[in-house]
Amino acid sequence: MSCPSRRDFIRTSALIGGGLLLTDAAALRRSALADPMAAQLAIARWEESALATADLEVAATRLTEAAIDGLGGMTRFVSKGDVVWIKPNIGWNRRPELAANTNPNVVSTLTRLCLDAGAKEVKVGDHPCHPARQCYRNSGIEGRVEAVGGRMVYLDSKRFRDMKIGGEFLESWPLYVEIVEADLVINVPVLKHHGLTRLSMAMKNYMGVIGGNRGSWHQNMEACLPDITGFMKPRLTVIDAVRVLLRHGPQGGDPDDVEVRGIVAAGTDVVALDALGAELMGRDPRSIRTVAAAEARGLGTMDFRSLDPVERVLS
Amino acid sequence: MTATARARRIIWIRRGVQTLVLLLFLVLLAANRPANGAAPGAPVSTFFDLDPLLMITSWLSSNTLAGISLLGAVTIVVTLILGRVFCGWFCPFGTLHNAVGSLRRQFGRVRPRTSGFSVWQRAKYLVVIALLVMAVFGVQWAGVLDPFALLYRSLALTVLPALDVTVSAVSNAVYLGDPHLGGLHLRDVTEPFYRWWQERVTATEIRVFTGTDVVFLVFVAALVLNLVRNRFWCRYVCPLGGLLGLVSRRPLLRLTSDPSACNQCQKCTMACPAAAQPEKPDEWLATECFGCWNCVAACDRQGLDFRWVEPWRRTSSGSVDVGKRRALASVAAGVGAVAMARITPASQAATYEPSLIRPPGARAEPDFLARCVKCGMCMQTCPSGGLQPTWTEAGLEGLWSPVLVPAIGWCEFECHACGQVCPTGAIEPLPLDEKKQVKIGLAVIDTTRCLPYAYGRECIVCEEHCPVPDKAITFVLEEAVQRDGSTRTLKFPRVDPDRCTGCGICETKCPFRDRAAIRVTSAGEARHPDNQPLLTPTGGGYGDPYGD
Repeated sequence: MSCPSRRDFIRTSALIGGGLLLTDAAALRRSALADPMAAQLAIARWEESALATADLEVAATRLTEAAIDGLGGMTRFVSKGDVVWIKPNIGWNRRPELAANTNPNVVSTLTRLCLDAGAKEVKVGDHPCHPARQCYRNSGIEGRVEAVGGRMVYLDSKRFRDMKIGGEFLESWPLYVEIVEADLVINVPVLKHHGLTRLSMAMKNYMGVIGGNRGSWHQNMEACLPDITGFMKPRLTVIDAVRVLLRHGPQGGDPDDVEVRGIVAAGTDVVALDALGAELMGRDPRSIRTVAAAEARGLGTMDFRSLDPVERVLS
Repeated sequence: MTATARARRIIWIRRGVQTLVLLLFLVLLAANRPANGAAPGAPVSTFFDLDPLLMITSWLSSNTLAGISLLGAVTIVVTLILGRVFCGWFCPFGTLHNAVGSLRRQFGRVRPRTSGFSVWQRAKYLVVIALLVMAVFGVQWAGVLDPFALLYRSLALTVLPALDVTVSAVSNAVYLGDPHLGGLHLRDVTEPFYRWWQERVTATEIRVFTGTDVVFLVFVAALVLNLVRNRFWCRYVCPLGGLLGLVSRRPLLRLTSDPSACNQCQKCTMACPAAAQPEKPDEWLATECFGCWNCVAACDRQGLDFRWVEPWRRTSSGSVDVGKRRALASVAAGVGAVAMARITPASQAATYEPSLIRPPGARAEPDFLARCVKCGMCMQTCPSGGLQPTWTEAGLEGLWSPVLVPAIGWCEFECHACGQVCPTGAIEPLPLDEKKQVKIGLAVIDTTRCLPYAYGRECIVCEEHCPVPDKAITFVLEEAVQRDGSTRTLKFPRVDPDRCTGCGICETKCPFRDRAAIRVTSAGEARHPDNQPLLTPTGGGYGDPYGD
């Protein structure tokens, strides 16, 4: 499988971004102005010409705020007294610059927005591939989240429980009770390359709520990912493309494989977000089997433009 | 103040010191938990640094002082002045024996017969002679019996995991069952404690160790023997006690007595944990005495006291006679043990044990064994729990030395903690960037199990977990014929031997959990120029990266 070259990638990203701006922007702004609480997709993008000099910590924070604002603000999703579980990708013992994990500022900003919206408690946790404490700490997520009042939770292998998935392939699987029981689960993946599914995005990120022999899922990913996504009933998904990992995913490790994109997208349709992610990575969403399978399953639409995305450009 | 009253006060000070040192030992043990991959912030190997037995044997066996702490000399100097106060006041293992021994009173076993001197007390001197002889010939076995190494190993590999399993089980039971009284939930207490426990004492993943039954049995046996004779271990076995006994024949602080005061009540004898004959004014055994002051406090007639004495003055004729013949026998036993260790194929470089994957930075096997004191510090700090004690893989010489067992855990890419905490430099403290380059073995794919090869199914788990940035596991796209004759293009993993470091995460994470379809073998390890299956331009594999 060939990876998109950097030039292809930039061109596609520019085309998408530009296309969104030029063709739909007016309509989008109208629809969003009409009823932001009905917006299904919001894309916050850092001005490309300002990206090279941007402070990415500030950018990630403001992009996240803008994306959530584009959906009508966090109060649309969080009610007073809610327990929220934020599920970033903290799978690897890697520094933030290597883009293997979700950007820490994106996660902490979401945490803060949830608390401001009245959440009783915001828990942040993942089921990492590397030792959890190392991942939480070296990803930078623990420090940021705790600074704004969120709580990092280590998943305990004894606290997974078999649950009826009722999927087309999966009948039941061990899931993490505390996550399933949260009032709201915000799925916050980082956009990156993956050796099998080609891309790791929102649906792939749900592998962090499952226990059991996770490795065995790779034998039938296009059935397992839609099944778990259907079970989790996503209400809010935020894709972090502040930095993206172009090659050697999902773990990376080489700074040369990382591209600064300066994009955060939030939405209610997980399939649309994964399709957007695919296009940002220079791929036709229909070529990503897991995404296509999810659309066929009725979990959302790959035609994210049909959702009238709200676009915010910051600098 | 009378001597008795002063002694009572000193004993309380001693108990305070003993408690604090034991606590410090436990704190430093917990501080050596898996950190962020770097060395723990605390000076976790301090106790080993102060151990003269490990200092001397490591120096003898490795033929160099490089990487060996010289703080053990401080202990020697203190012993020359005050006698074996190390055993009575400092040694945390001694303190544990002291605590168990004090239970004897409950059993009513304190009698002069079991408190008096026994010629078997010379056994520890024979032990230390044998260990020193072995060290001269490059066999480092002191760590098997050294009190710090033994205590650390026992606590880190058995007691702490047992506590961890218990704490985890109770916390999870309370969490899942959620017992509560109205609005008072028990888990509001257990959860914060559990979190603290994982954060500050152990790790987020339970780590347990293989073959530790014997480690535990030795530990328990050493403690239970206190019920047979008080401080059994310290009196008869401890090689560190033996070494310190050799240098405490004429300390400056000595027990002096007033024969006219003695009414042969034997209270001092029964109070003495060391069987140092305080009841015989002229035959007090300086080499056995722990300097605990119990005898002084026990004497109702103020007959005993510790006093400063000039080193050249002989105040007691008492001594433990090891005997020339026994000493010679001990030397012979040491030589014999070395020969036994050397008549294995592995130590003659005739065979290489595939499962003997040493931690990154471990020296070439003979040099590694000459330094490793089997303390378990590296295993305790390993974040994945993959570093395990050997049982037979490294022969009896390498008993309880660290081996990476990838079926249990891998060598974490962003971590070099084992080399940082190793107290004797058996694992060199490599900088992280250097450690990432060190090959500790090589991954081998078992195509009879690997899912694409054996069953025509997709799987990329090994590749996805390979931490080498440009991947030591790559794919070859090939068509696999299915049962119905149709073909399906699959990704077949292949190992790039030039890039693979043998970290083993592929083996740990392989969906085959009983025996992984990709396994690490010791071949290709950088520390052994001869254990190289693949042609390299230098002919000698990777050479000796640590080259002395």
